[in-house]
Amino acid sequence: MSKIKMLVLSQICLALVSGLFLGCGGAKKADTPKADVVVWHWMTDRQDAFEKLALQYLEETGIKVLFETYAPTDVYKSKISAAATANLLPDVFNPIADKKEVASYINAGYIANLTQDMENDGWKDEFFAKALTQNTFEEGNEWNVAPGIYAVPLDVNSLMIYYNKDLFAQAGLDPENPPATWSAFIQAGKKLRDANIQPFVSGFGEGWLIGAFAQSYQWNLFGRDGVLETIEGKIPYTDQRWVKIFSLFEEMKNNKLFASGVVTMVNKDAERNFAIGKAAMAFNGSWGVNVYLSMNPELNYGVMPPPALEGAKYPLLMFGGEGSSLFVNEKSPNKQKAVNFLKWLTQKEQQAFLAKATLNIPSNKNVAGDLPPVLKTFSENISNTFESLPKIESWQVTNFININLQSVIIGERTPDSAAKEVQDEKERQTKAGR
Amino acid sequence: MKTTPKEKINNFCFIIPALILFLVFSLYPILRTFQLSFFQWNGIDKDMIFVGFAQYKHILFNNPAFWKSMLNAGYITLLSLVLQNGLALMLALLVSRNIKGENIYRMIFFLPPVLSGIVVGLIWKFVYDGNFGILNYWLVGLGFSNFHDFAWLSEVKTALSSVAVVHMWKGFGYGFIILLAGLQTIPVELYEAAEVDGADVWQQFKNITFPLLIPIFTIVTILTILGSMQVFDLIYSMTRGGPAGHTHVPITKIYEYMSNGEFGYSTAMAVIFGIVLLIVSFAQIYSSKKLNYNNK
Repeated sequence: MSKIKMLVLSQICLALVSGLFLGCGGAKKADTPKADVVVWHWMTDRQDAFEKLALQYLEETGIKVLFETYAPTDVYKSKISAAATANLLPDVFNPIADKKEVASYINAGYIANLTQDMENDGWKDEFFAKALTQNTFEEGNEWNVAPGIYAVPLDVNSLMIYYNKDLFAQAGLDPENPPATWSAFIQAGKKLRDANIQPFVSGFGEGWLIGAFAQSYQWNLFGRDGVLETIEGKIPYTDQRWVKIFSLFEEMKNNKLFASGVVTMVNKDAERNFAIGKAAMAFNGSWGVNVYLSMNPELNYGVMPPPALEGAKYPLLMFGGEGSSLFVNEKSPNKQKAVNFLKWLTQKEQQAFLAKATLNIPSNKNVAGDLPPVLKTFSENISNTFESLPKIESWQVTNFININLQSVIIGERTPDSAAKEVQDEKERQTKAGR
Repeated sequence: MKTTPKEKINNFCFIIPALILFLVFSLYPILRTFQLSFFQWNGIDKDMIFVGFAQYKHILFNNPAFWKSMLNAGYITLLSLVLQNGLALMLALLVSRNIKGENIYRMIFFLPPVLSGIVVGLIWKFVYDGNFGILNYWLVGLGFSNFHDFAWLSEVKTALSSVAVVHMWKGFGYGFIILLAGLQTIPVELYEAAEVDGADVWQQFKNITFPLLIPIFTIVTILTILGSMQVFDLIYSMTRGGPAGHTHVPITKIYEYMSNGEFGYSTAMAVIFGIVLLIVSFAQIYSSKKLNYNNK
């Protein structure tokens, strides 16, 4: 082999090896930062609005904020988790995780405690109380997180039932008086089906939505203590009240309330079905207002809470509260700049701009009065969302609940056998200490 | 000819780049996966809790959903082995006969495999849709009015098979190309001699084509098994494992656990799944060797 060949070969090897080592060990950021504060988010529909606000902030303060979008949410979530492991998190981010996982990020030193900043100048008091509970850790929480507030909420949401007023009228129902009780809801569904209209749609293929619908009735039948005792294993899932929850889905199925394919439907498809009038009711979040506007601006609809059960002991609560929040990187050299920006972003003027541009309910309660009527209904119901609990159910059991709710809808299981399946999983998880 | 030490060093230099890539991107992840499977870790915590074989034990004896997902993957694989490869062989035989427009057929048959799995899944999801689907539209047009709102992907009886059909549609092109290449290596003289001896088409296939294609079948079968057992994108875009978990396969279960912060547990699942795939692949290679006429 000639010397030239050897030289070329050795150079290739050297480049490859150094490339690998630099790539693998590159926890060090570039010398010139892209901006003073970098925000990673997943809210593609808000990027334009964020950019306008960032420009305004630059003009007012001289501080450059860069919003970078990564979507869909599962891709974003994976990116955050990988960046955390490699110590490459941006200044502001959201792990999109349940309380247990957020606690892991906090305990690993990736998320800053914002309590002190929140207490200053009454910043905390500008938010809906429910907007802060999800990311507030109380004294003695089971994850050993130092008590405090760990995120800045940008908006709040709640999940209700949208109904198409035109289709209601077509089926002989009063569009201004939607069903308020469970039996009235079933009767309305039957009337819609008789009129050849699919009564109810939702993205039940995404487990969390079917779970959110069921949880409303868990709160309705069990109350706060009962919900907590179920998580603690003191009340089994074979309790008759849980069987009742499963039987509600069976009742909906028997009365043909569900749209075709609801158990594998993702929410985007469910939103499309409702927007084009293929279904009369849709269980969806407050973000749906913006989605339906973009899909069908002429859609004539109203919203109602999930119908409460007659004779239930406790109030029916809804899934919701904090919508999108942003967390500050504890290890960021720009931590204070990031906090200052978030404080500015959640002031009334900026929140009003975001509400107008994106049709989400702002987390700043002082803006709520200026919202369009439908969004106002949602914002009025923020106080009726689930309460924050010191413990959460394991995701495996929650997953089993969602799967068995689907099983009931497709007629594979009875409410009793579905409840037993969930209890069996709960026991398996408890036994394994998971 | 004897290789000198200098030549040995020179030769080794040539494999260094590939060796480094293999070590960094294949061997290290495999070893790390194996190591993680003995720890309880959520990917974020600084401390990993050593649990030994506890996660393996839990998967083996207390996770029926994982084994159900294995059966689902087995069902898709079985259908693919029989129908997908059967179709691939049939088309390869037809195209190898110098028919008109042979290249166009090759291109058409190889189109589905090069499409993105997510895109294919989303398109077929529309085809199967109970509300807007073209399949129901055609069926109703043919007089099957019961299918006007039939949700193919939401019924227990049809969901997995519907996904399997799409998987086979997407995958048969690979088998087709490989089998076609194999057919073209068989000397024409063998067929000419057989014809002279009075062998009919079936006898030619049974005594010439099939035996000489066995090594190719082995490759196609192993690729089909590995590809079908590891199907993910189609399931994710079409059903997300539903209805009620009836279309979950091992990879979607592993993904589910990993996205819920169960890194250690999901890697233990991956190790078990890898071992199952290895056993199946070795069994296939062993049985092919037994059948391989060339080795007799």
